[in-house]
Amino acid sequence: MFYKPAITSLAIVAAFGMAMPLAAAQKTGAIAQDFKLTDMNGKTVQLSSFRGKPVVLEWHNPGCPFVAKHYDSGNMQKTQAAAREQGAVWLTINSGAKGKQGYMNGPDAQKLFKETGMKSNHYLLDMKGVVGKAYAAKTTPHMYIIDASGKLVYQGGIDDKPTADQADIKEARNHVSAALAELKAGKSVSVAQSRPYGCSVKYES
Amino acid sequence: MTSTFCSRTIWSGLKVRTILQAILAALVVAALIGINPVGEVIGNPAEAQVTTAKRELNVPATLVAEAQQVHAGQDITLAFVMTPKPTWHGYWENPGDAGMGMSFDWQLPDGVSAGEAKYPVPDTLLISGIMNYIYEGNYAVLVNLTLSENIAPGPLPITVKSQWLACTNEVCVPEQDTLSITLEVVDKGTAVSRNKEFDDHRKALPQPLGSDATFMVRDDLFRLSVPIPAALDVETPYFFIIEDGILDYSAPQKVNRDGDRLIIETTARGDMLETISGVLKIGPGIGLSLDASKGEVEMSGIPLSTGGDGGNFNNGGDQSHASLLFIALGGAIVGGLLLNLMPCVFPILSLKALSLAKAGGDEHIVRRDALAYTAGVVLVAAALGALLLALRASGAAVGWAFQLQDSRIIFVLLILVTAIGFNLAGLFELPNVNFGNRLTQKDGASGSFWTGALAAFVATPCTGPFMAAALGATIVLPPVAALVIFAGLGLGLALPFLLIAFIPAIRKRLPKPGPWLDSFRKAMAIPMFLTAIGLIWLLGRQIGEDGLALSLIFLLLISLILWWFGGGQAKGLSRGTITTGALVAAIIGGVLLLPGQQATNSQRAANASSATLPSEPFSEARLSELRAANQPVFAYFTADWCITCKANEAAAVQRQETADAFAAANVAVLMGDWTRPDPEISNFLEKHGRAGVPLYLYYAPGKEPVILPQILTVSTLTDLVA
Repeated sequence: MFYKPAITSLAIVAAFGMAMPLAAAQKTGAIAQDFKLTDMNGKTVQLSSFRGKPVVLEWHNPGCPFVAKHYDSGNMQKTQAAAREQGAVWLTINSGAKGKQGYMNGPDAQKLFKETGMKSNHYLLDMKGVVGKAYAAKTTPHMYIIDASGKLVYQGGIDDKPTADQADIKEARNHVSAALAELKAGKSVSVAQSRPYGCSVKYES
Repeated sequence: MTSTFCSRTIWSGLKVRTILQAILAALVVAALIGINPVGEVIGNPAEAQVTTAKRELNVPATLVAEAQQVHAGQDITLAFVMTPKPTWHGYWENPGDAGMGMSFDWQLPDGVSAGEAKYPVPDTLLISGIMNYIYEGNYAVLVNLTLSENIAPGPLPITVKSQWLACTNEVCVPEQDTLSITLEVVDKGTAVSRNKEFDDHRKALPQPLGSDATFMVRDDLFRLSVPIPAALDVETPYFFIIEDGILDYSAPQKVNRDGDRLIIETTARGDMLETISGVLKIGPGIGLSLDASKGEVEMSGIPLSTGGDGGNFNNGGDQSHASLLFIALGGAIVGGLLLNLMPCVFPILSLKALSLAKAGGDEHIVRRDALAYTAGVVLVAAALGALLLALRASGAAVGWAFQLQDSRIIFVLLILVTAIGFNLAGLFELPNVNFGNRLTQKDGASGSFWTGALAAFVATPCTGPFMAAALGATIVLPPVAALVIFAGLGLGLALPFLLIAFIPAIRKRLPKPGPWLDSFRKAMAIPMFLTAIGLIWLLGRQIGEDGLALSLIFLLLISLILWWFGGGQAKGLSRGTITTGALVAAIIGGVLLLPGQQATNSQRAANASSATLPSEPFSEARLSELRAANQPVFAYFTADWCITCKANEAAAVQRQETADAFAAANVAVLMGDWTRPDPEISNFLEKHGRAGVPLYLYYAPGKEPVILPQILTVSTLTDLVA
């Protein structure tokens, strides 16, 4: 009866003293952790290579109704286009594991990218969830903004209406557009943190 | 647009599920040739199924009223009865890291207003490091409607559009439904019948704690201190916070008990609120709703457990465990060492030690003996620990010295201790387990092993007080680490013996055996008999006087058998076989004739009624009966988790002065125990404007009841009848 937990805990005892890198969240106001990921075209993309420009990270899962709310309405594409016009870099990241809802391989993502008219600079594949966990991305969508100096200046939801209803978009405050506009104007971000909402990120384990 | 969108998402949820279950192969093929599953769903004639949406909800909702007929000027409770399909779940008001609570958009006639939704106590569900606060089985969310006085009799249509999120471990589907119900406003005199299912709905809600909690956020640390009586048993407590942005939901929660406080420590996310609220879950389906304000909170007391329900955090294992293990192990060894001085162990140990000294020069035999003894002690200590962990794993709420909660084990221990006492006193000699004088090749090693085993078993009644902290740690640590601590306890117990065996200098300093040793051995019978008296007292508390008398008769019988056996030894006769048979028969007889669990329970009840102020259980029927008989009644409502209640009981209710005054005035005392939700008591409390306990009422004959203050004194109570 207690034999099985004993075996499992043997492994835990063996792990004593080893630092366990748990999902360590990135702190708002601190330098965001650098990472390298492969995009849908097989190209390697490194966060720190965009120093000097603001970078938006968007966690994505095409099967999630909350993501669909912002793509079917065109809201996300519009936000992406506006961000790029302001000189920001937009990275869409998929941390869905193989076999889980919303997982994409390169060709899948290329097709989706074209069909939905995404405007992001890169669609990054993070099927092991390494970057997702390093940023403690919990939901799709989950948004992060890194300023030109590499500091994390926003993390949270895309807006302040946590529903799956497209009708709510027009009355919502788009936290990402607002933050980018503030950065552009040389101001500090007034809402630097909010509650992300959506489906949970479908990590491998 | 909204409805189209909705049908798509509902369909996509079902689609994914169906595909996963039935045509997994097809999905693999589709993925291989690069068909986008979402595009496929969108392009599918799913739109055709729009109107059947209600049937296809994964967490369907039904709107039910507590009564169809209502009176103007009163409240009526509505329930959203949610019935998730297998593998699906719905969310608590704060959904955790992901997910969504329910929203309500009411369409109410004039004069009707809806209150806040009340949610049942949720469960935790941790998926890949993402915490969800959810309900897996059927659940009901309750909302009170308030009707104004001037609503005219007639039909009262209620409509609500509600949205919620339905998820499996894999997919999420936002669901919504427009629910309607038509109530009927009737004249005040008309009786209304209520839906009994609401009793169960209310049982699932958290109960208001009543006392204020304190919380603190410092850097990454969140601490919450909740007043909970020290005597209350709690099972893997978990704090569900309502406000977002303060806690890291997926971080494990450490729990300490420090007297009348329960302290929770976990990782903080933010510090922007002066007050927070939430539900402290203290057992399956039992939760206390509380408010907390900012203050200083120390992580004092002893650790209780980590993690939430269902061992969600088993894959944790952080570094603090390692240091805890070493501290607890050190504590256990020192504790074991001190145990040697306890009355239950000292006689065995001291005599065994002296016998080693007597063996003198033969290092080999002495060391072999000491090692065998240590093995016996460590094995039994670890075996008792393993049994404890196994019982815990099977769900029994047991602590160390759990064996002393079973009257049969106390009885066996009593016989053992008495027999050892008689042996030391010289009534008989034991052939194999000898505590002193012989150390031969033949019985040396095995004799020492069994002496050690016996010492460890007999020592358990004495482990309690000063081992509590180290043994408390065993509940937090993984089982193997916990076993190491139990073994450490055994090692500590055997340590003096090992030192004597392996350091000849110590052995030389021990007094030389001589005729005094025999007197010493006889004197050592005294602590053994003292232990026996302690066990008799313990047994009496558990099984009552009648049961105790019967047990003592068996004890006498066993003593007589040993006496007869000893007499035989003195004459050189071997009566071993007969003695063994008779002893086994007597012990089994004694155990079988011990009062069972039922008697033990009724003894507990008797202990309760022997309280200073005896009481009867509260019921409205009993109350009106007493009122009809013109007897004064004092009714009080309490719960084991309510610290104000317990304080009042100690300070005012359970006092001799109160009991005397009440007895003189012939006051009947009714006690309502709300430790677990009881609908009858809940209703009664509500009728008196209370959401929870304590409530104290005094009914003078023929008069309206008086609600007494929340803080009682003896004079408040005695003045009632003065």
